[in-house]
Amino acid sequence: MRRAHLLGLGFMTPALIIVFLFFLAPVVLTAVFSFTSMSSGTGISGGAYEINEQTLRSLTDRGFPKAKSEKLGHDLYRIGEEGLGAVEADFGKAFADEIRAELSGELFEGRRDLERELKKLRSRPRSIRDLKKAADLFKRSVLNTRFESETAFLDGVGETGVELTADDQAVLVKTAYTGWSWTTANYELITSMASTWRAAKNTAFYVLLTLSFNVGFGLFLAITTFYLPKGQAAIFRAIWILPRILPPVLYVMMWKWLTWDTGFLSIFLSNFGVEPRNWMLNSDINAWVCIVLINGFVGASLGMILFSSALRAIPPSMLAASEVDGANRWQQIRHILLPQLQWPILFTTSYQTLSLLTSFDYIYLSTDGGPGRSTEVWALYTFHTALNNYGGVLQYGLGAALALVLVVIGIAASLFYLRLFKFNELVSQPRIEQ
Amino acid sequence: MRILLDQFTKTFGATTVIDKMSLDIESGEMLALLGPSGCGKSTTLFAICGIHRMNGGRLLFGERDVTHLPSQMRNVGVVFQNYALYPHMNAFDNIAFPLMIRKMAKPEIERKVLAIAELVHIEGLLKRKPAQLSGGQQQRVALARALVREPDILLLDEPLANLDAKLRLEMRSEIRRIQQETGISAVLVTHDQVEAMSMADRIAIMDQGQIVQLAAPKDMYDEPVTDFVASFLGNPPIAFLQGTVEGKTIRLENSDIVLPLDAQAAKQGNGTPIRIGVRPEHFQPEHPVKISGKISFIEEQGREELFDVTLSNGMRLRSVQANGGAFRLGDEVSWGLAADKVLTFDPSGRRI
Repeated sequence: MRRAHLLGLGFMTPALIIVFLFFLAPVVLTAVFSFTSMSSGTGISGGAYEINEQTLRSLTDRGFPKAKSEKLGHDLYRIGEEGLGAVEADFGKAFADEIRAELSGELFEGRRDLERELKKLRSRPRSIRDLKKAADLFKRSVLNTRFESETAFLDGVGETGVELTADDQAVLVKTAYTGWSWTTANYELITSMASTWRAAKNTAFYVLLTLSFNVGFGLFLAITTFYLPKGQAAIFRAIWILPRILPPVLYVMMWKWLTWDTGFLSIFLSNFGVEPRNWMLNSDINAWVCIVLINGFVGASLGMILFSSALRAIPPSMLAASEVDGANRWQQIRHILLPQLQWPILFTTSYQTLSLLTSFDYIYLSTDGGPGRSTEVWALYTFHTALNNYGGVLQYGLGAALALVLVVIGIAASLFYLRLFKFNELVSQPRIEQ
Repeated sequence: MRILLDQFTKTFGATTVIDKMSLDIESGEMLALLGPSGCGKSTTLFAICGIHRMNGGRLLFGERDVTHLPSQMRNVGVVFQNYALYPHMNAFDNIAFPLMIRKMAKPEIERKVLAIAELVHIEGLLKRKPAQLSGGQQQRVALARALVREPDILLLDEPLANLDAKLRLEMRSEIRRIQQETGISAVLVTHDQVEAMSMADRIAIMDQGQIVQLAAPKDMYDEPVTDFVASFLGNPPIAFLQGTVEGKTIRLENSDIVLPLDAQAAKQGNGTPIRIGVRPEHFQPEHPVKISGKISFIEEQGREELFDVTLSNGMRLRSVQANGGAFRLGDEVSWGLAADKVLTFDPSGRRI
């Protein structure tokens, strides 16, 4: 490698670092997370082993013998040195020694059984309450007890006297683990859950509709302002650019004012006897119209700028030529302007597809996927799943898997568009006159 | 078809660019609008094809008044300076465009396009896009597109300006050939007097929105009506000498050089300031009316040599002579004028 190469590499390094840190690393991490069961329940560091009511239910679901899981759920009372020591400390040596002599090594299924035996002893405490307390000191249960390691957990289970086969043990350990684990279940979930399919359908619908509006309305604005006198055209373009330069929160807030049941639309329409309602969330159709318009106006302004500048690059003599050739306005648009807008149209379409696929900011601010989940697109669904939902159970792993699906679709779409554009042809040198 | 432009006026905002100009283009002739940039020649062309609205006057195509018709309704063919070919269509589609717009039948379009392509010699290039054609080929496509729907008039806006020197010579004769073969009336807008002289039947020379003179090229060269016309035509250009009338002669300013005047000019009366114009080919060693000076500049042009001769009062004459003379830079020479060819102008620039 020559010194010049090193110099080039040196200049590139900051960019490479940034690409790695802010693009590659997040994607890789997302991919890693997507293969875990991380959630707000498991946390993102390690976990412990614990059997609770929930665990017992899922154990049965996973084919763990019902009899054994019931046994795990019951309190057991085992007369051992540990309990005896505690009794000696609380109720005196005499009582402890008597228990050791009479009941050592015995196992009771319930407290009542143990109490009955204790009542027979002479040096027992007089009050019933103390007797119950003493019985409790022999309680040996795995229910709701946290074990920090697998061995401790298995020892604890062993003490309950439940006989486990190797299979049972594996299921039990897996179910009782409260931390995250490696799994492909997220992807299985994605294909099987009805809600993901609805999000996918919503996304396709949203992208298609908004894109058509973006490009169509952008074209309409560009062409109409193209035929206007310069000053008027500039004013119109400035007005249509407002949605893009307005802060999204403010822009959506204005839409909300417009559509609220006490907002402009309702008040205006009440003059004509229309019942006031929330025009944004009143029905699925209302919500969709709002979403497409809110995003569409923002996108259309970008299209308008691109198309306008492309139109202005057309030499005036070419327009004059087409007029002399007999073309009216419509034919001029159809045969001269639109064909020359081919590249900007394709560019806008691809760029907007990619950004619409992943964008959910305006939807989040306006309908937040509602009413119900009828306008919840994939990106918003991901956000809700992983980072923000009403139930408060945040499924990081599933969210990462959902996000990764978007990344893969985005990359596939980009490659497709590059092929479609014949990108190499577009950037190839024009022929020099012979 | 005869084209008549009558009292044509064009204003841009408060500025009147062309004021009541009249122009009569005869059927089948090629008329050149010649003038410096900004003289209004392109404006006139755009008014004829309808791209610019006329602010006054009438425009007749034959008997038809087209003054207020948009360009779509006038039957004109235009070749633009940059050809204005449609970059997304191949040559065939470019040429077929005016016919396609008229919803002519496919076979009919194909027949016409092929015929016109043959006329302009681009039969083999019809599948190419404009970007794949050379400048000369693009020009031919533009010509074919202008001619294919058999327009009443063909308008050429600086058609050769974007070509290199060799192609320019070739296309000059090609455009003339095509125009003559089709027998179409044509207007050629140019600032190049050689183009105008070599291609046009008549030249309308324009200055500041007015036609100064309208005549056949040869007549205009020999009998210019003003010093502007005389100076615009001819390369190398005419040389002017200032002086005053003294009897039947002119005395040049700041000198005792006296040259004879023709009878018409001599009538001006003693003391009248006048200018004479001498074309380079009329200032030669063998001509009779001798005048002395020093060779101050020589330009070799291969077949010819061009000399600047500075007179004792600092004025300069030009001479163009066949190559092979033995003259050197700085030589004192005494060459002669062809007295009958000398042009005289009054102080306002009008020919006497």
